[in-house]
Amino acid sequence: MAAELLRETFEIQGRNFDKAGEVSGEIKVILRDLGIDAVNLRRLVIVAYEGEMNVVMYAHRGTLTLILTDDDLNLEITDEGPGIPDIELALQEGYSTASDEMRELGFGFGMGLPNMKKNSDEFRIESEVGKGTSVFAKIRLNANA
Amino acid sequence: MPELKHGFKIDADKCNGRMSCMRACPTHAIRVKNGKARLIPELCIDCGSCLGVCTTGAIYATTISFAELDRYKFKVAVASPALFSQFGIKDTPAQVGLALLDLGFDAVWEYAIDIELIDRAITDCVKKWPGPFPLISDACPVVVRLVQVAYPSMVEHLIPIEAPREIAGRELKRKYSQELGLKPEEIAAIYITPCQAKTISILQPAEETKSYLDGAVGISQIYNDVLSRMRKNASFRETPKGLVSTAELLHWGPPEGEFPKLSREHYLPLTGLTDIMKVFNDIEKGKIRNIEFLECHACQGGCIGGNLTVENLYVARSKNLHLLANMPKPGFLFEKEVERRYAVEDFSLRASVKPRPIEGEALDLRERVTRKKRADELLRGLPLLNCGLCGAPTCKNHAEDVAASRADVGDCVFLSRDRIDLLRQIYKK
Repeated sequence: MAAELLRETFEIQGRNFDKAGEVSGEIKVILRDLGIDAVNLRRLVIVAYEGEMNVVMYAHRGTLTLILTDDDLNLEITDEGPGIPDIELALQEGYSTASDEMRELGFGFGMGLPNMKKNSDEFRIESEVGKGTSVFAKIRLNANA
Repeated sequence: MPELKHGFKIDADKCNGRMSCMRACPTHAIRVKNGKARLIPELCIDCGSCLGVCTTGAIYATTISFAELDRYKFKVAVASPALFSQFGIKDTPAQVGLALLDLGFDAVWEYAIDIELIDRAITDCVKKWPGPFPLISDACPVVVRLVQVAYPSMVEHLIPIEAPREIAGRELKRKYSQELGLKPEEIAAIYITPCQAKTISILQPAEETKSYLDGAVGISQIYNDVLSRMRKNASFRETPKGLVSTAELLHWGPPEGEFPKLSREHYLPLTGLTDIMKVFNDIEKGKIRNIEFLECHACQGGCIGGNLTVENLYVARSKNLHLLANMPKPGFLFEKEVERRYAVEDFSLRASVKPRPIEGEALDLRERVTRKKRADELLRGLPLLNCGLCGAPTCKNHAEDVAASRADVGDCVFLSRDRIDLLRQIYKK
């Protein structure tokens, strides 16, 4: 396994729509300044943002950890929330459990998780109903350059 | 990559080191060391914020002088519509056009046609575009540079269509070289510009091609000359004849690059860098949906709010509305010329815009991570007051400069008392 170069963890507050997106914004600046190429940067920011929004919309709180190695970018998004009963169903495009309130805010089109998967080279979800969810996404640095 | 040029210069002799420019710069591209401002070229996006706040005039736009124009046999002015909104309510575009001729230009280009052509080209491009959306206008050079520097993952959103001033330059060279039997290089296409940023788009286009224009003259640079000619010369008050009798072809429609033809619900006009950056942050996250085209101008209020204009934005805007209300709609000739040119000309951008290489790109990822960690560590020892006395606009910038061996950590007054004495020396009256 490639050596870990950088690891940073950020807190995400559930239900705080005012601050939603700030963590992905910070990550973007870090990776841009590290000279990560435009294509991978774009993919990672989309994964981070959708992941962050899922925590904001559904969970009490969560963390997003960015891990950079020589070969890839990794995101681990872990939350304390309701969990996902049927992961396969949740990954289908258009499937959504968002409330009307969330939809009014422009979210909940059932594209979040599918979009994260689409923009990752490896993608995995672990969830326990009533406890929380962890999402792991990997973007390989050389695969899309 | 050739050396990066910019649309302004800093005169070290005039600079008194008061740091207004450093604090105003949105990309933190200015440092003030030893009482003198200097630029980090890779970070500068030519927005001109520094020009506006410099109290000593040390920062000046590198526009072209009239003496430089003498080497051309035929000089054509392409006037930004912003020019016509700078004078009195009774001063018509035709009179401004005559004053430009009197000033030494051999012709004033009918620029409204080029603006109309690009309006059409953009509308067509938006309709056919496969994605990614939204497309972003590229007529403002600052917006293009902002994307290259701060939003590299969004370069594909820049619309691949030339700016109207560029196709004006191309067509006027074609037309006059044919009509007058001159070589294209003997004809000067000079843009009368509301900002210094257009200068840099002529000197060094972001897409790394060669501009069709030969230089830019600032509106403020010729304002007094144009005004005095209009006031002194009685003949300017009469109905102008010849070229400028079709003054609507100099000025028609809203200020440069506003595209009323696009449907309002899928089109966002944005002005001002702060607002543009807010929207760009959202685009980057994939948050903006259903918007097809963003028209972005870095200056608040668009080009009539440019830093080389004279009249204040609001008065100029009102003047522009007045002009439009009192001008006949362009007639048959206008439509005919638009149709003719639209059929034969290609408006696509000649090369794609790429992200601008970041500083120290020669370093590999590991070295950059080491540098970042070093900067994070240094930052913990700094006061986070962003006082600027070290010569960097923020403590974070100072930490990064030190990590990049561009500054000495002791430049911070909190870390070294000698620094205060040194500053006292530099800034003593």
